[in-house]
Amino acid sequence: MKFTIDRNKFINHLNHVMRAISSKTTIPILTGIKLELSTEGLILTGSNSDISIKSTVIKDTELQIQSEGNIVLPARFFSEIVKKLPESIFTFEVKENLQTVIKSGSSEFLINGLDADNYPRLPQVSKNLQFELNGKMLRNLINQTNFAVSTQESRPILTGVHFVISNNQVKAVATDSHRLSQRILQIENGPDNILDFIIPGKSLTELSRILSDVDDNIQIQMSENQILFTIGNLSFYSRLLEGTYPETDRLLPDSSTTDITFNSSKIFSALERASLLTHESRNNVVRLVINPELHQVVLYGNSPEVGNVEEILNVDTLVGESLEISFNPDYLKSALRAFKTDQITMKFTQPLRPFTVVPKENDGQFVQLITPVRTF
Amino acid sequence: MALQDWLPKNKTDRKIIHLDMDAFYASVEELKNPSLKQKALVVAHDPRKNNGHGVVTTSNYNARRYGVFSAMPATKAIEKIPQNELVFVNPDFKVYRKVSSQIHRIFQEVTDLVETVALDEAYLDVTQNKLGHNKTTIELASYLQKRILNETGLTCSVGISYNKFLAKLGSEYAKPFGRTIILPEMANIFLKDYPIEKFPGVGKKTLSRLHDYSIYTHDDLVSVNIHEFLRHFKRAGYDLLQKAFGIDLRPVKANHLRKSYGKESTFLEPIHTKTKAKRMLKLYCDEIENQLNLENLKAQTVVFKIRDVDFNTSTRRQTLIQANNQSNEFYQIACQLLDDFESELNIGVRLLGVSVTNILDSEIESISLPLFQTQ
Repeated sequence: MKFTIDRNKFINHLNHVMRAISSKTTIPILTGIKLELSTEGLILTGSNSDISIKSTVIKDTELQIQSEGNIVLPARFFSEIVKKLPESIFTFEVKENLQTVIKSGSSEFLINGLDADNYPRLPQVSKNLQFELNGKMLRNLINQTNFAVSTQESRPILTGVHFVISNNQVKAVATDSHRLSQRILQIENGPDNILDFIIPGKSLTELSRILSDVDDNIQIQMSENQILFTIGNLSFYSRLLEGTYPETDRLLPDSSTTDITFNSSKIFSALERASLLTHESRNNVVRLVINPELHQVVLYGNSPEVGNVEEILNVDTLVGESLEISFNPDYLKSALRAFKTDQITMKFTQPLRPFTVVPKENDGQFVQLITPVRTF
Repeated sequence: MALQDWLPKNKTDRKIIHLDMDAFYASVEELKNPSLKQKALVVAHDPRKNNGHGVVTTSNYNARRYGVFSAMPATKAIEKIPQNELVFVNPDFKVYRKVSSQIHRIFQEVTDLVETVALDEAYLDVTQNKLGHNKTTIELASYLQKRILNETGLTCSVGISYNKFLAKLGSEYAKPFGRTIILPEMANIFLKDYPIEKFPGVGKKTLSRLHDYSIYTHDDLVSVNIHEFLRHFKRAGYDLLQKAFGIDLRPVKANHLRKSYGKESTFLEPIHTKTKAKRMLKLYCDEIENQLNLENLKAQTVVFKIRDVDFNTSTRRQTLIQANNQSNEFYQIACQLLDDFESELNIGVRLLGVSVTNILDSEIESISLPLFQTQ
C-alpha cells in the first residue's frame, strides 16, 4: 500500500473522520483509523461503535496511488503526526509487518499499524428507505432541539432526538423531562411512509458540526437500527435508539392565562445577570413575578452566600392574570438561544404547570416547554 | 508613620459571640451514661483493643486534671490516668452530629449569620439579631447558654466581643460554663498579658522565630519595626500584628455550601465477599441519609468508590431521575455499581466508599413532565 497526497486535502478528510474516534472504547481497534486504498481512491474510516464516519478521497492529481492495500493506525498519533509534517505533501507506505512509513520532506516516521481485517465492518444500510433533506435545514433542526436531550443514562430514550418525517414535514422533539423543544419544518419530496425514529444526541452533535458548511441536499437511508447520512463523499452512520418515544404532543398546553412578549436578547442578558448569583447557590432558581396591573415583570435571583438580585424586565406586552413562578434560568437561556427571532412570547397557565416559549409570530412550528420549580 | 498607621482602621461596632461546647463529646457521653461523670472519661478507641492505635478526641474535666487532652495518642491516657478511674468510650459521631444540629437550630433562632467551626464551636454575629434590639449581647449570650442547657443538658462557654479573635479569647478565658465579655476599651488590657504563643497562628516554629527577633511579649510585638517585621513574617505577620492591636475584621461567614456528602473506610482485613461489602455500603448509605436529613437536603448523584489490595482505585457514578434522600435508594445503586467489581472482590477490597453529589435543598423540587405516565 503506497500513496502520495496533498496534506491539506488529507487533513480535511481526517478531521471529519476523527470526530467518530474516541480514546475511550471497549473495542481496542476502534482507537485506530482505517485507511483503505483502491485504484479509485482512499477511504478513511473512524468509529466508536455508536457513530461511524467514512470519508472517501477520490483519485485525482492531489492523490497519486502507487499500490493498493489497507491498514489501521493509532488515530491520535497519526492525526497529530500528519498535522505537524513539514511539507505540503506526504507519502504513505505500508511495509512488512504492518509497519507504516510516513515521509514528508526530510522527515520520516515509522509507525506500527494493525491488521485492517480485524476492524469491525460498518453496518449495512439498505437503500429501500431513502430520502433527501437540505443540509442547512437539518443543521438548524438539530441545533434547535438537540440541546434539550437528557444527558442521563437512566432514561436512555431521552438521550436522543425524536424525529417524525412524513412526505411534507419533519418534526423533531427533544426533552430531558424538565424542558422540551419541538421544531417542525416543511419539506418537499419526503418519504412516502411516515418514518418515526430516535437519533442519539451525541451523534447529532457530531453530525451538526460536519454539516456546518454544507448547504446542499444530503441523502438519508435507514434500516431498523441504523441511519446513514451521505454528505458528498462522506458517510455518517449512527445507531438509532431502540424503544418507543413518549407521546409529547399532549404535553403542550393549548391555552394560556398570562402572556408576556419581549425582546429576546434583553431578557437573555437579564437572565445572565441573575444566574451570576443563582449559579452560586444549590438550587439555581430564578423567580418571575408578573403583575399586569402595574404592567410590571420582575426577575429575582439569590445566593444565600453572595447576595441577591432584582431586575424589572423590559417587556413589550403583558396580558392576563398575575403570576409568580420559579424556574431554572439556564433552561430559558438555552431556549432563547435556539430561536433566531427577536420577539419572543412566554405563555403561562399556573405557577406549578409548564410554560411555553414561542416566537411572537407563532405559527406552531417552533415551541419550547419549560417546567417550573416548586419551592415549598 | 507610626506602626498603627499601616494597620487597617479598627472596627468596634459589631457584636460577636463565640460559643464553644464544654468537653463536647465527653459531655454527650456523660449524658448517655451519667456514671461516667465520676470517671476520667476519654473519648477514643481503647488502644489496648486496637493494637495501640487511637487518638483522644475529647476528655472530660476529670481526665484533663491528669493532663489528658484532645489530639493526644490514646496510649498517653493509659500512662497518665490511674487504672481504676480511666474509661475509654468509642466516639459516636452520629450522636454528636445530631446534638450539634439541635444546637444549631437554637443559633438560627437568634441569627442567620452563624459560622460553624466544628460540631462544638461556632461564631455568631448578633449585631442584627432576631430577638430584638432591646436585648443586650450579654442577654443574648446567656439566652443561648440557657436554651442549650435546657434542651440538651449540655453546658457551653461564650465569649463576647467586637470581633472573632477576641470573642474566641473570651470563650477560652472562663471555661467551663463561663461567659466573658471583652469591650473595645478593655481589649488592650486583656491582650497585654496574653502570651504571644497563644495567638492563633503562632506555633512552636513561629514562636522561636519571634524569639530570634527578640519578641517575647505583647509589648515587644506592638513596638516592632513594621517593615522589618513584615519582611520576615509576611502576610501571617501582618495578621498577627492586627490581632496584637485587637483588630480582626474577618466577617462571620455563613457556612460554605457542601458539594458532597459521603463516607468511606479502609479495612484492616480486606473484604472478599459481596455480602460483607454490601453490609458496609448499607452502613454508609444510612449515614449519608442521616447527614442529608440533618441539613434538609437531597442528592441526585451517587458515587461509588472501591480500592483493591493492589491500590487500584475506581469510582463509578450514577445519577438518579429525581433527587432523593433515602438510604435505600442510594444503597440499591451502590450495589449495582459494586457488581462490576467481581475481580476486585476476588483479590480483596481494602477500601469502599459511597458519596452523593448534586445536592439540592429538600424544599426545592424540579417538576417533571409526565412523560412516562398515562394520564
